[in-house]
Amino acid sequence: MDFTLNEQQEMLRTSARQFLTKNCPKTLVRQMVADEKGYTQELWEKIAELGWLGLIFPAEYGGAEGSFLDLVVLLEEMGRFCFPGPFFSTAVLGSLPVLWAGTREQKDKLLGKVAKGELILTLAFNEPGTYYSSNISTKALEDRNGYVISGSKIFVPDAHVAHYIICPSRTNGSAGSERGITLFLVSNPAKEITVIPLKTVAGDKQSEITLDKVKVPKDSILGERDGGWELLQKTLQYAMIGKCAEMVGGAQQVLEMAVAYVKERQQFGRPVGSFQAVQHHCANMFLDAEAMRFITYKAAWKVSQGLPSAKEVSMAKAWVSDAYQRVVLRGHQVQGGVGFTEAHDMSLYFKRAKAAQHLFGDAKFHREKIAESLVA
Amino acid sequence: MDFGFSKEELDFGKEVFDYLQKEMTEPVAVECRHWRAAAPGGPYTREFLNKVGNKGWLTPSWPKEYGGLGLPIIYSYIANEKMDYFNIRPPISSSVAGPLIMRCASPELKNKFLPRIARGEVHFALGYTEPQAGSDLSAVDIRAVKTDKGYVLNGQKMFSTHSHIADYHWLLARTNSEVKPRHKGITLFIVDLKSPGISISPIWTMADERTNEVFYENVLVPAENLVGQENRGFYYIMEDLEYERTFAVGHAEHILEQLIDYAKKTARDGKLLSSEPAIRQDLAQLAIDIEVGRLFFYRLADVLRRGTDLMFEGTVSKIFTSELLQREAFFGVNMMGLYGQLQEGSKWAPLEGNIEHLSRECVVESIYGGTNEICRNVIAMRALGLPTG
Repeated sequence: MDFTLNEQQEMLRTSARQFLTKNCPKTLVRQMVADEKGYTQELWEKIAELGWLGLIFPAEYGGAEGSFLDLVVLLEEMGRFCFPGPFFSTAVLGSLPVLWAGTREQKDKLLGKVAKGELILTLAFNEPGTYYSSNISTKALEDRNGYVISGSKIFVPDAHVAHYIICPSRTNGSAGSERGITLFLVSNPAKEITVIPLKTVAGDKQSEITLDKVKVPKDSILGERDGGWELLQKTLQYAMIGKCAEMVGGAQQVLEMAVAYVKERQQFGRPVGSFQAVQHHCANMFLDAEAMRFITYKAAWKVSQGLPSAKEVSMAKAWVSDAYQRVVLRGHQVQGGVGFTEAHDMSLYFKRAKAAQHLFGDAKFHREKIAESLVA
Repeated sequence: MDFGFSKEELDFGKEVFDYLQKEMTEPVAVECRHWRAAAPGGPYTREFLNKVGNKGWLTPSWPKEYGGLGLPIIYSYIANEKMDYFNIRPPISSSVAGPLIMRCASPELKNKFLPRIARGEVHFALGYTEPQAGSDLSAVDIRAVKTDKGYVLNGQKMFSTHSHIADYHWLLARTNSEVKPRHKGITLFIVDLKSPGISISPIWTMADERTNEVFYENVLVPAENLVGQENRGFYYIMEDLEYERTFAVGHAEHILEQLIDYAKKTARDGKLLSSEPAIRQDLAQLAIDIEVGRLFFYRLADVLRRGTDLMFEGTVSKIFTSELLQREAFFGVNMMGLYGQLQEGSKWAPLEGNIEHLSRECVVESIYGGTNEICRNVIAMRALGLPTG
């Protein structure tokens, strides 16, 4: 057993932290919350140059041939810095299914450009009234030239800037049936696609989209026709771990901020961190943060071994979603009034924790999945 | 990153598990159930531990010259987890006394004790706590006065569990009462519990387990039974506590299996408990907690195999898993509703009253081995570098 990063991963972590310290200050994060687009071209190009966008792509697509565990390390650092922009949508939600199931042509068309920072991808899963389920009613009707897609999607990350939206649509069966779902690579923007940004707590860019008879060619099917559900599930599993990794980095940063503050802040003539009531809050944060990291790494390791890992992934997402919230709330408690101000960094982590805990299923959702396997 | 076991490790775990399952006779199981915090709890467990010791499984990673198997540290953790599944905690002899003897005792004491500890032939009882020295062990006041014949001890120990069954007392005593701070005047001794002048009287816990008061009246202890250096005892045990605080989740896992089984078979007003959303949520949360507890546990082996000392990692494991056991036990009795109050012996008692008993016993988990508040202080200081008050 080995709970630690290898040498390369340590180097990646160190260089990512150095880069982000310099290039991703909280002033930028705040600007991007207010900004319509949500990222700067300059930073996007820089991370493309660093090879982050193609971190796990094969060399032929301009990739660095890294492993998923490397990507987890990178996402952890991005979470620590509240990295703004469509990295997660592009590198995880969009690229992974293309890597796994894309045809030669699809990969040629997309991955090289993704690695260079020229293409932004995303995935549109939920529809109004659904929650990561197979209740997909967006329809794709076959015609002579390909397919015509109509329907509504909601909470689609970065749809306002994405060049391709992976759109699970029904080609067979009815809402609820896992069979009959097909993933389409839909070019965006298009006049048949309406993108309406949502006003969200974290100021990340999610949208409601309406597809009104969007015509796509036959070769825009990603993976198997009618068999997209498995691909979607696999993508979701990796996305859960990726999101957990971001939360691990965020929690670690909150812990470090809180500890630094209580060492410094004086009341009653001594640092508040010398009071046991405060120390115990910090100790609890530490326990949660450690557990978050280990349970995330374990799930990441297991999926990257190709072992059945649905249960471990659900355990990680459930634990990390709850624990991140605890860490943030205790972080607030020990930093007092100043942490409650909008100008304090804590406000950013609080809001991101809220957003992340619901993404790809919250703790209750995943506990129910675990329960299914326990009492089966 | 690697969270898997090697084939050799898996085989070892299976061999230990299968053996324990085969040898776990009803009388041993009963003793284990009643004396969880106190292995060996009685004559059957003693005999059982002797068998396990003869296999080398109490101390798999000890050097062969001291009766170990010379295996990497993770094998000790694997054996520990498997034993924990059957409700057997590592004996004080091999988990507390042995490692410290190996680290700081004289060659004579090493040769005298270590091979017998490894074989499970001799057992120790902890003698740290006194009426006025609980969380503050530096207040230890049992006096050891040096004479020509050895040390003469007078005073009292408290909550010295299984000293009525063990062979030796692993004793913290005061050898200097002038020195400040007080912890600089404390020495560690091995005392034969059959020595004249020792009297032991039971204290019964609310979990029907026996612990003891031990009185010392002019007890003569040979000088060679001093462990390490005089007046260094407090330092030795403080370092060692970090190693003592290793809580396996085998037992928690075994209990969860039983609770799941119960929920699947038990209907209330025509509805299976396992179909109740609230119960399903709690069962799943326990499974997650056990996963976390196991990661905290095996992380210790990962730190140690690098030759690094434990700083706070054992404490993390202790806090988490002790509280997990409490959540699990209380969930269990609550899920059973009115039946949860029934004790062993009632024909209606679910799981032979095992969970009812655990729900009383688990109260002490967050108290002994350093209360969880003391443990959180340790984390604050050692892991986070927070200032002391």
